[in-house]
Amino acid sequence: MFGQQIVNGLALGLTYSLTAIGFTLIFGVLGLINFAHGEVYMMGAFIAFTLVAFLGVNYFVAFLLAIAFSGLMGYFLELIAFRPLRNAIPEATLIATLGVSTFLKEFANIIWGPEVHTINTPFLSSSFALGGIQISVIQIVILIVSVLLMWGLQLILYKTKTGYAIRAISQDMGASYLMGVNVDNTIAMTFVIGSALGGAAGVLMGTYYGAFYPTMGYMPGLKAFVAMVLGGLTSIPGAVIGGIILGISETLAGAYISAGVQDAISFLILILILLFFPQGLSGKKRSA
Amino acid sequence: MKKILISLLLFVFAFSAYAMAGDLYFGLSAPLTGDYAQYGEVFKKGVELALEEFNEKGGLNGTKIKLIAMDSKGDPKEAANIAQKFVMDKRIIAEIGDFTSTCCLAAAPIYQRAGLVQLSPTSSHPDFTKQGDYMFRNIVTQEAEGPYIAAYAYKDLGKKRAAVIYIQNDWGIVAKDNFIKGFKKLGGTIVAEEKFNPGTKDYTNILTKIKGKNPDIIYIAMMYSEAALLAKQMKKLGMDVPLIGTGALYSPKLIELGGDAVEGLYCTSSFYPYSDNPVVKSFVEKYKAKYGQIPNMFAAQAYDAAGLLLAALKSINGKITRKKVKEALEAIKDYPGVTGLTTFDKNHNVKKQLTKLVVKNGDFVEFKK
Repeated sequence: MFGQQIVNGLALGLTYSLTAIGFTLIFGVLGLINFAHGEVYMMGAFIAFTLVAFLGVNYFVAFLLAIAFSGLMGYFLELIAFRPLRNAIPEATLIATLGVSTFLKEFANIIWGPEVHTINTPFLSSSFALGGIQISVIQIVILIVSVLLMWGLQLILYKTKTGYAIRAISQDMGASYLMGVNVDNTIAMTFVIGSALGGAAGVLMGTYYGAFYPTMGYMPGLKAFVAMVLGGLTSIPGAVIGGIILGISETLAGAYISAGVQDAISFLILILILLFFPQGLSGKKRSA
Repeated sequence: MKKILISLLLFVFAFSAYAMAGDLYFGLSAPLTGDYAQYGEVFKKGVELALEEFNEKGGLNGTKIKLIAMDSKGDPKEAANIAQKFVMDKRIIAEIGDFTSTCCLAAAPIYQRAGLVQLSPTSSHPDFTKQGDYMFRNIVTQEAEGPYIAAYAYKDLGKKRAAVIYIQNDWGIVAKDNFIKGFKKLGGTIVAEEKFNPGTKDYTNILTKIKGKNPDIIYIAMMYSEAALLAKQMKKLGMDVPLIGTGALYSPKLIELGGDAVEGLYCTSSFYPYSDNPVVKSFVEKYKAKYGQIPNMFAAQAYDAAGLLLAALKSINGKITRKKVKEALEAIKDYPGVTGLTTFDKNHNVKKQLTKLVVKNGDFVEFKK
């Protein structure tokens, strides 16, 4: 049973990680907590759902299109809602993210309705036993896709010009600008990458639970925030590990204590981390 | 500024004067957004259909009955706010709602103090109608449904070892308590008892835990959308144990969402759309024509709640007051609703015949031994 619970927790944790990476990227570059991130996750999931359920698109094609759409959405959100506020007080942008979050939730409510939707993926939801542990195909897909996306992100960050620019801006936006980095484009790219990862996580989770609904991004958004804090706010490997730790500890808490306290556990972890490791588990001291 | 204020005041005054002379209103408090929005939506549909029929037939001697629907979001604080608004609004003569027992209980003291009927189509928590004599419900309480389901599992299905999974809210707790009490009384054993928080979508950890306890049936106190997810996750975990639950599971949506994972699920319901009863048949037809879908139990409960209030209004002689609505409801005998004959007992609860259902070949059918 313990092995089974670890597998359950790992699948959950990996999607927290994917969501948390987007959070972390955006926070790293802008110092902005993007509360609309959970809704980008939801929109990505709904795009895939619409493509599969109504247009009969192949699941994997729909998945890729949903990622592309989420990235595009990130671009436009930044352009419309956040760029005009770049030089305003930070609270203004924070409130703008809340506004975007509410807008997207209600938008989905109007377009797709408030009820839970599902898609049928017989192959993905089939499972097999491996040494007494039941593993489903979608869990393996989650593992592979998460690793691929995280690896791809590392490539972008460390091997491309955009990646250099993102890292430069996250260290010092003013200096990067003076060195000739195109700040506007780079920030837009950060939103594109972060949102694409968020959307991917949304599609995977929607498929995993077989549930697509307008409020589906709320809880994972909060959990990803916890994972990000756990990982030290600006560290991407930290966010990945934070997500996995969170997923596993939540699942184990549900299994061995009570599922009633499951969510409380993740926020208890948040409080403990803030008290004892204010820099996160792998975070470095940030200059103010 | 002053001018605007005066004209605004005049407008408000004129409007309220107009309203006083004009139509009568029901208030509907239901979750129209948020996690329970899908239930609130069918509530609204059911009530609107009942009012439409009534007004088409001429209303109450020419007076139309209209609806003011407000969104409680499934949040007890919101339900209490709505209650405040409704009791202040003199046009409203009765309230329908809320969906969850938790919301109904939070709003109850406000309606009771103001003397406005709160008629809940779905609150099955035994304590709800104990909050005062203005509280009514149109659904059997868990005190009646719990033991009934226990007997269904133990006697009809021959199950002896039950595991219990319940949602951690007022309704979930009282539903599982009554099932457990009934099941133990019959001689069954409860091998596991697991709860989850409202909003949880991942049940794999509690299912894995229950798997180790080897139950021969799992009683689930949850809504259909949650049950569909749970059934799918059971399948992924390779668990093959039948599920049984309350009328909250009864919705065509359960099968749409759960697919073959909910095959063989047992539940009860106060409403069965394929019944031969002409009242039910006509309701299902009209509902389908208007909304393009088959009504579920929640729509039927709300439709009957509105129907009960309308029947009460009709029986009132002279000027309609909130107090008279309450007295007229108490006097109703065997109202022929789509969820069965309805009479309120002295505690404002109802007795209803429940139908035993099972999912077979992708459809709910009546259970026959």
